[in-house]
Amino acid sequence: MEALIAETAERIFADHVDKDLLDRAEAPASGEFPDALWRVVQNAGLHLVGRPDSGSDLGDLFGLLKIAGRHALPLPLAEVLVANAVLPDVPEGSGFATIAVDGVAPWARAATRVLDLDGILHVSFTVEPGANIAGEPRDRVRLGRTAPVEVPGEVYRYMGLSRTSLMAGALERTMEMTVDYAMERIQFGRPIAKFQAIQHNLAVLAGEVAAAVRACDGAIEALGTVGADNQIAAAKARVGEAAGVVAEIAHQVHGAFGFTHEHSLHHYTRRLLAWRDEYGREREWQEQLGRRASARGADQLWDFITRGQ
Amino acid sequence: MSVQLRFDPIELPPETQALRTEVREFVAREMPGESWPNSDFNQGHSPAFSRKLGERGWIGMTWPKAYGGGERSFFERYVVTEELLAAGAPVSAHWIADRQSGPLLLRYGTEAQRRQYLPRIAAGECYFSIGMSEPDSGSDLASVRTRAAQVDGGWLVNGAKIWTTDAHRNHHIIALVRTAPVGENRHAGLSQLLIDLDADGVTVRPIKNMAGGEDFNEVVFDDCLVPHEALIGEAGNGWTQVTSELGYERSGPERFLSAFRVLVEFVRHVGPDPDPDAAALIGKLASHLMTLRKMSISVAGMLQGGRTPAVEAALVKSVGNDFEKLLPELVRLQAPLLPSDHPLQRSLSQTLLHAPSFTIRGGTREILRGVIARGLGLR
Repeated sequence: MEALIAETAERIFADHVDKDLLDRAEAPASGEFPDALWRVVQNAGLHLVGRPDSGSDLGDLFGLLKIAGRHALPLPLAEVLVANAVLPDVPEGSGFATIAVDGVAPWARAATRVLDLDGILHVSFTVEPGANIAGEPRDRVRLGRTAPVEVPGEVYRYMGLSRTSLMAGALERTMEMTVDYAMERIQFGRPIAKFQAIQHNLAVLAGEVAAAVRACDGAIEALGTVGADNQIAAAKARVGEAAGVVAEIAHQVHGAFGFTHEHSLHHYTRRLLAWRDEYGREREWQEQLGRRASARGADQLWDFITRGQ
Repeated sequence: MSVQLRFDPIELPPETQALRTEVREFVAREMPGESWPNSDFNQGHSPAFSRKLGERGWIGMTWPKAYGGGERSFFERYVVTEELLAAGAPVSAHWIADRQSGPLLLRYGTEAQRRQYLPRIAAGECYFSIGMSEPDSGSDLASVRTRAAQVDGGWLVNGAKIWTTDAHRNHHIIALVRTAPVGENRHAGLSQLLIDLDADGVTVRPIKNMAGGEDFNEVVFDDCLVPHEALIGEAGNGWTQVTSELGYERSGPERFLSAFRVLVEFVRHVGPDPDPDAAALIGKLASHLMTLRKMSISVAGMLQGGRTPAVEAALVKSVGNDFEKLLPELVRLQAPLLPSDHPLQRSLSQTLLHAPSFTIRGGTREILRGVIARGLGLR
């Protein structure tokens, strides 16, 4: 991705997203939309990354979401970016559009428009507040004024890739935190990183993170090619599997401290558990990929694996 | 965190597609109608097949033309190796010479050694075995006790190597030997010698494995005199040299494709419209395989760029071995009990019987995890 976008995003998120902001943004406690952060993101133009007229592409868009995942960014950036990039017909307006699936949308409470993938654009509406297990607002959209809207088939896949990218970033951050903690935490007179049992758990964790990041990058690289659908399916499924393994090991290494609200680890691990479910669990994408592979037949299986189609 | 593992998003260059097609056509022509129960690179020692690959220029592909190589890219080599493995081709004869003995000679060998061996390896005529493990030295490789003493006329070698794949049908072994007593630094005083397997003083005894095969051996050196010119690289530099081989040994597609034919037979068994559980299993395994390929291709790209990604290679092997062990376990739970001669059952049986070796050969799972932990800065 564009280095300038990456550097800008990394700097803004690092400067503005802290434990206090995350706690305030998470529901049900408060679920307060971080207006100041959103204005900074808008002023930097990050909400337009990936739009055809922006000089950036979809690779930049999903690369930006990896960085957002690294910081547990408490904004519906995936929805905003995909809506801006692939749904140019959604009318412009003040505020931002979020994307609903089955009537539930991230941060609908702060949005001015809600696009439902069933083909409905909500332009005025009420919301029933809700949250995923990470405390990220996931609001049910009710009543209001709607208009039909054309939703291209790839939007669901792009949203799946958005969760894949967010997870890839959160996985990297979780690994860093866990390795750092293992080096700092002293037990039996030495850092727990020196114990072979811990080293082996961290090696497994590192393998899953490396596989997840590579699968995600591969799907991003494949965008616009014929095999992209299958690469996205493979990535969402593989990264979702890694999310569960990595969250488990990260907590085991962090011990009881990692189970406290005060520690930051859960901001990443809870999101991993939430994002692996959103836009299709592993099983859904595995089945889709398996059907396509089977349809090619046993003697073409290897060709399917190598070409991704 | 001190070290970041890197798997750059490198894809195979498009021009490798023509080569891939060429290899597929070759395999279809040279192995017509054969049934391949697994894709294990240790299965199938065929000098005839290796010579044919040599004729096509598919051995020593990345080496200089002056030594019989093809000066082709690591990506092209990757494509040839994965196509041969996926088809279950009998590649064992030349595999180790192509993968690591040749590159070792290229990097550390004398000009005479390169000229003597590399062209014959590339022709598919000269096969090598790895002389690392000993009866008392497996994972703790630095503890090897086979010793070589400098005498008039060369090196006098005494000791024994074990688990030496294909030593009973290959031509040479590159043995890691102690040429100086153990000092404070146990990695010092080791050297590598290139020894003919039919030399006087060398006895090769096949060891039958639990699957019934005779692939690996014990190789005993009893006052075996080898010439001074048999030394590879510098005396005392053996540890550095031997660890440099491991990047080649650990990152290739042979580390995650051993069980691939089980998946092929499973897909054949369930047909084009499988039930949801079978489809999900096929998709899960495909997603792992697609990801492992990308990781292995990233390492090929790093080798192409002149880097030695030892930790990344260990990681590919570690994740890949876990996958090739998991694959037959998951498939057997999704498949009915079938007669033992059914292709799926045969493939499952073959693979399950060989599976214990997947996470041992080329570095055990435990050693690899230690390498990864060191890469993470933990040790």
